[in-house]
Amino acid sequence: MGMLGRTGDHEWSQRHLSQYVEGDLRPRARRRLDRHARDCVDCGRGIRAMRALVYAVQGLDGLAGIRAPATIFDRVRLAGPGGSPSSQNA
Amino acid sequence: MAGPDGQPAPDSAETEASLLARAQAGDVGAFERLSGAYADRLFMLLVRLLGDRAEAEDVAQEVMLRAWRGITRFRGQSSYFTWLYRIAVNEANRALDKRARRPAGVSIGARELDLPAAPEEEPSRQAENSELRRALGQALAGLPPPLRTAIVLRDVEGLSTQEAAEIAGVGQAAFKSRLHQARLRVRAVVGDEALASSGG
Repeated sequence: MGMLGRTGDHEWSQRHLSQYVEGDLRPRARRRLDRHARDCVDCGRGIRAMRALVYAVQGLDGLAGIRAPATIFDRVRLAGPGGSPSSQNA
Repeated sequence: MAGPDGQPAPDSAETEASLLARAQAGDVGAFERLSGAYADRLFMLLVRLLGDRAEAEDVAQEVMLRAWRGITRFRGQSSYFTWLYRIAVNEANRALDKRARRPAGVSIGARELDLPAAPEEEPSRQAENSELRRALGQALAGLPPPLRTAIVLRDVEGLSTQEAAEIAGVGQAAFKSRLHQARLRVRAVVGDEALASSGG
């Protein structure tokens, strides 16, 4: 493969790392990225980093214990049945 | 009966369908029970999208008011949860637009999302990952709202692409494009070194 093709593959691979880890690439595109990443340290690292990123973001569950405020329905209660369209149209 | 991802849904004696019918007839209590089942999760989503708990409280009230006012227009083409979440995303985006239009002197800018460690996480793991959490929070807060919405709905909330796209109000192809852009930007901000040390 010539230098231009290799550079093109590299840029294309870097842009498609998220699709790769998501499984969104068609088989031919996936093979293209696989082939390139075998010889490209940057893209191999990129795949690992993208997998780690998705894993880390999925683990951002630190808000899991928080509760909705008791005031969440205050405006609904203030509006009352008259605040719903069925009542407004009546 | 449980809603999406274990969110408690209205109990079986009082099904979502019956609560919906009563809410659509103007029963405020039924609306509260119907929507209250999703209130905690909806509030968490708003905190994640807005990065500010006080603002999320205000927006959550507005979401419920808009849902109440629009309840008769809900036709069940999506789940009630999806419909409510879509209102929440729209209201969060409206709040972010307002924030962006504030004069520079009072601008609060993109805030770092406060994402504490999960309570069940081991202390050593918490310390190890606290820096990464902070970096991820900053990176997410710096994303344009459509990209932030995509990554929060899909990766943080764990919704399917189809459901997340519906909530975001775009087609699945457009949603995936936003998600991939968001991940690339977050990766660029956080850096591969920090991600590699996360052990993911």
